[in-house]
Amino acid sequence: MGTIRFREVGKIYPGKEPVVALDRVNLEIGEGEFVALLGPSGCGKSTLLNLVAGFEDMTSGTLSFNGGPVSSPGPERAVVFQEAALLPWLTVAQNIAFGPTVQRRGRAEYEPKIRELLRLVGLERFADALPSQLSGGMRQRVGIARALVMDPKALLMDEPFGALDAQTRMSMHQLLLDVWQSLGTTVLFVTHDIDEAILLADRICIMSARPGRITREIAVELRRPRSVEQLTDPAFIRHKAEIMAEIRAAQKEHA
Amino acid sequence: MNDAPARTMAAAPRPAPAKAMGRGAGFAAGRSRAALRAVLLPIAIIAAWQLAGTNGSLAGGVLPTPDRVWDAWVMWAFGPKGMGLNPYSGTWLDNVLFSAGRVAQGFVLAMIVGIPAGIMIGWSRAVSGTVDPTIQLLRPIPITAWLPFSIAVFGIQDMGAVFLIALGGFYPIVVNATHGARDVDRNWIRAARMMGASRFEVLRRVVLPAALPAIFTGLRIGLGIAWTAVIVSEMVAVKSGLGYVLWDAYYVGRMDVVIADMLSIGAMGLLSDWLIVTVEHWVLRWRRLQTATR
Ligand SMILES: Nc1ncnc2c1ncn2[C@@H]1O[C@H](COP(=O)(O)OP(=O)(O)OP(=O)(O)O)[C@@H](O)[C@H]1O
Ligand SMILES: [Mg+2]
Repeated sequence: MGTIRFREVGKIYPGKEPVVALDRVNLEIGEGEFVALLGPSGCGKSTLLNLVAGFEDMTSGTLSFNGGPVSSPGPERAVVFQEAALLPWLTVAQNIAFGPTVQRRGRAEYEPKIRELLRLVGLERFADALPSQLSGGMRQRVGIARALVMDPKALLMDEPFGALDAQTRMSMHQLLLDVWQSLGTTVLFVTHDIDEAILLADRICIMSARPGRITREIAVELRRPRSVEQLTDPAFIRHKAEIMAEIRAAQKEHA
Repeated sequence: MNDAPARTMAAAPRPAPAKAMGRGAGFAAGRSRAALRAVLLPIAIIAAWQLAGTNGSLAGGVLPTPDRVWDAWVMWAFGPKGMGLNPYSGTWLDNVLFSAGRVAQGFVLAMIVGIPAGIMIGWSRAVSGTVDPTIQLLRPIPITAWLPFSIAVFGIQDMGAVFLIALGGFYPIVVNATHGARDVDRNWIRAARMMGASRFEVLRRVVLPAALPAIFTGLRIGLGIAWTAVIVSEMVAVKSGLGYVLWDAYYVGRMDVVIADMLSIGAMGLLSDWLIVTVEHWVLRWRRLQTATR
C-alpha cells in the first residue's frame, strides 16, 4: 500500500512576514500511481513533498499516508533529493547500505540486494567509488538505489533530474520508467519541466503560486509501458498544448 | 534495462588511483627545489648570528652564538647526569617527556570534553542556549590569568599544568566542533532520518563525520595553545619540564640553555602538529580524493 491523501492542507512558514506556502490543498494519490507536481518556482511543490516526507509539519488540514497520520520521516516514504544528497565520506555501496545498516538489518540479507541494485542502475563497477568521483547522473542513480533498497511504499522525488544535462536526463527518465514499471511503487514527482511531467506521470497536478494550491489535474493518456520515444507522440503534443494554455491562463490571472 | 546508462558510464571518469601516478620526475624536482628555498633563510640567519658574535657571544655578552648554543644543547641532551657543576647535563629527554606528557594529558582531556560538547552545542538549540553563553563568557579570560587560580586549587603539581592545558585547548576545539556540527548540510540529515536513522544515529553517522574537518582545525589550534599553556605553567607552577628549565636557566644566566630550550619547544610543537596532520590526512582521506578529482 502507498496511498497519500491531502485534505484541506495549509502550510504557513512563520516569520516576520509569514509565508503562505500551501493553501487548502486537496490531493489523492492511489496505490502505485505516478503523480507529477508541476508549477513555477516558489509555488510550494517542495513544501508539499516535504510534508509527505515528514520533514515539515503542516499548519492546518489533514494528511494521511496509507490511512495513518504522517509524523516523522521514515523508510516507507523514500526521498530522492535534487542534488542526490549522498554522504561524501561513504562509498557508493556504503551510501546504499546506510538505510539497512541503521535499521539493523542483516548483512547477508541486504548485500545481495545492493549488488542487484547496483546492476540495475548500471554502477556495479563503481561500488567502491566516492560520490565526488561520479558524474551528476551517476550520483542521482545512487540516490535512487539508496531509496529502492528500503522497499519503500512511496518514492518522493523533488526535481531529481533538474541539475542534469538533456541527454543524461533522458537516460534517467528511461531508468525511472523501467524501475517504476517493474516495482509498481507510488511516485510523487516534483518538476517544473512540462515534458518530463507528461512523459512520466499518470496524472499531472498543476500548481499556482501565492497562495500555493493545485489549480488543475490532468490525466495523461499515453500508453504504457512508456519510453522516451513518445516525446514526439501526437497525444504528447496535445497534452503539452493543453498544459501550456493552462499555465498561460494562470499567469494572466495573476498579472 | 537498456543501453542508455552504459553510455553515460563509459563517458564518466574512472575511479581515481591512476591520478597520483601521473606525477612524474618534474614534480619531485620541483619539490626538492622548494625544500632548498625553504632552508635558505634559516641558514642565512644562523650564519649572520654566528659572524656577528665575538668570543662566542654578542649583544654585550648576553647572547651566545649558535655554536655555543649547540654545545649546550649536546651537553644538555647527552651529557652525564648528576654532575654538580652542570645541573642540566643529561636531563633534556626527561624534561621533554615531562612537558609532552602534560600536553598529552591535558589535550586528551580537552578533546574528550570539547568534541562532544561542541557537537551537542551545534546540534541542539537547547544545549546551545544553556551552555554556549557561559563558554563565550569565560573564553575571553586568557589562560595565563587562570594561573593563580590553578595554583591555589591544585598547588605546585602536575594537575595544575594539566588543568591549564585542557582549558586552553578546550576553547578552540569546542568552538570549531560547534561550527562544524551547525553547518551540516540539511539534506544529509533529512536523508539519514528518511532512511530510518534515530537521532543518535544521525549524530554519530552524519553530524560527527561532517564536522570532522572543522574539528581537526580546532585540534590544531588547540594543540598550539596547549604548548603555550604547558610552558607558562611550568615556569610558574611546576618544578620540571621545558618551561621550568627555561626560567631556571634564565635565572642563573645560562642563555645558551635558554635558547636551546626555546628551539626544543618549537621542535616539539612542530612534531605534535605533524602528528595531528598525519591523523587528519588518514581520517579525512575521502576529502583528498574529492579535491584530487575535481
Ligand atoms: N523554511 C522556510 N521558511 C520560510 N519560507 C519558506 C521556507 N521554505 C520555503 N519557503 C517559502 O515557501 C514558498 C514555497 O517554497 P517551496 O520551496 O515549496 O517552492 P517550490 O515550488 O519547491 O520552488 P522551487 O521550484 O524553486 O523549488 C516560497 O515562497 C518559499 O520562499
Ligand atoms: Mg523546490
